[in-house]
Amino acid sequence: MTTLIDRYVYTVLRRVPEQQRTDIDRELRTSIEDAVEARVSGGAPPDTALQQTLLELGDPDRLADGYADRKQYLIGPDLFPIWQRLLTMLLTVVLPIVVVIAVVIQVLDDPAVGPIIGAAVSSAITVGAHLAFWATLVVAVLERTGVTRSALRGGTRREWSLDDLPRYEPRAIALSELVAGVLWPVLLIAGLVLQQFTFTDVPVLNPDNWTFWWPYLIVVLTLEALYTVWLYRRGSWSRAVTAANAALAVLTTVPLVWLLAEEKFFNPAWVSTQDWGSTADPLSWLTGIVLVTAIVGALYDVIDVAVKTERARRGVHTPVPGTGAEYTNPI
Amino acid sequence: MTMDATLSTHLQELRRGTVVVASLTVLREPGYGYSLLETLSAAGFEVEANTLYPLLRRLEAQGLLTSSWNTDEARPRKFYRTTEQGDAIAAALRDEWTRLDKAVTDLDTPAGTVSGSDA
Repeated sequence: MTTLIDRYVYTVLRRVPEQQRTDIDRELRTSIEDAVEARVSGGAPPDTALQQTLLELGDPDRLADGYADRKQYLIGPDLFPIWQRLLTMLLTVVLPIVVVIAVVIQVLDDPAVGPIIGAAVSSAITVGAHLAFWATLVVAVLERTGVTRSALRGGTRREWSLDDLPRYEPRAIALSELVAGVLWPVLLIAGLVLQQFTFTDVPVLNPDNWTFWWPYLIVVLTLEALYTVWLYRRGSWSRAVTAANAALAVLTTVPLVWLLAEEKFFNPAWVSTQDWGSTADPLSWLTGIVLVTAIVGALYDVIDVAVKTERARRGVHTPVPGTGAEYTNPI
Repeated sequence: MTMDATLSTHLQELRRGTVVVASLTVLREPGYGYSLLETLSAAGFEVEANTLYPLLRRLEAQGLLTSSWNTDEARPRKFYRTTEQGDAIAAALRDEWTRLDKAVTDLDTPAGTVSGSDA
């Protein structure tokens, strides 16, 4: 029969590294017996003395954790901010992108409301769970391999310095907007070129336009990207910016609208290969959607830049993102 | 959090390192786990067995204590003794304790030059 002491000691040893077990076994037993002896000589009955001693030692698992000196947390305070930022970024930036892609694929495959909602929900849950799990696992492993925050930040063991403070200077556009403003035209150009050869058996857009309009669009889109770089380096809004932006919008949108209206935009061969279900006149539907998108997008862009310029000209305070403070954007 | 809970959290924070100083100081004379526990609680340190026993092994792993088994008596006991390094560290910790004690006392009894609180 195992005694109460045996049961207690074995429970502790279960969670202690093997090479320490013999030593801790002997030492812990002696310590318990010493304590029991002291209580008995103080007048307590042996059974009660043992029970009280063990109760005082408390949860054997906790004692074992003390002996093993192991971390009793998944992610400690040093790496927690990094884990939090990583998780926020993954769930607010990466997850929506993946969900949108899943929905687009579903729309191309079978554009019905039920499956689309299903694709959105199931991809959000599955991908969200994966992102959270892997991010947590990676940081927990870093925590256990002794990687510190400063090692992660600098690569080398660089301490935080004043240069790490964001500048919060009035800028026309932020770095993220610069990246988006360059990436978007590049993606459009890539899409324009690639649709000729890949994606579908026949090109989606009218191949006849390669004689002039598609190269022209590539040039204008390149100008859009250059405009964004210029605006970023310039650092402030002005009437010149408004004019350049409006000119680019006209140069892009007017030919698009004309091509669409003349039904020279889409490739008729592609339209006829698609199964449009019960839609009587798919080309006019497609044309209408793209037409409205192009015009609304261009108008929004022109008005947005004009409003920002006007606010800057009048010296209206502009909030600094995420701080609640404001700065005046001088022109 | 109630007043009592707050107080006990802060007390715990304040006492955290004191068991190390006390143990290293007491174990200049060799002692075993239970004897140290008795000595410390008699001296007024509120320390529990389940924190003290693992702590002794940690200090040994850090080279601040050495240990040897004494099997002369009926009950084999593991005796710990403070090493030279442990003694030096204990001395440094006691100095720091004295310095902090003086600093806190000075703050508590402001001299004429020290500006008082707003109240």
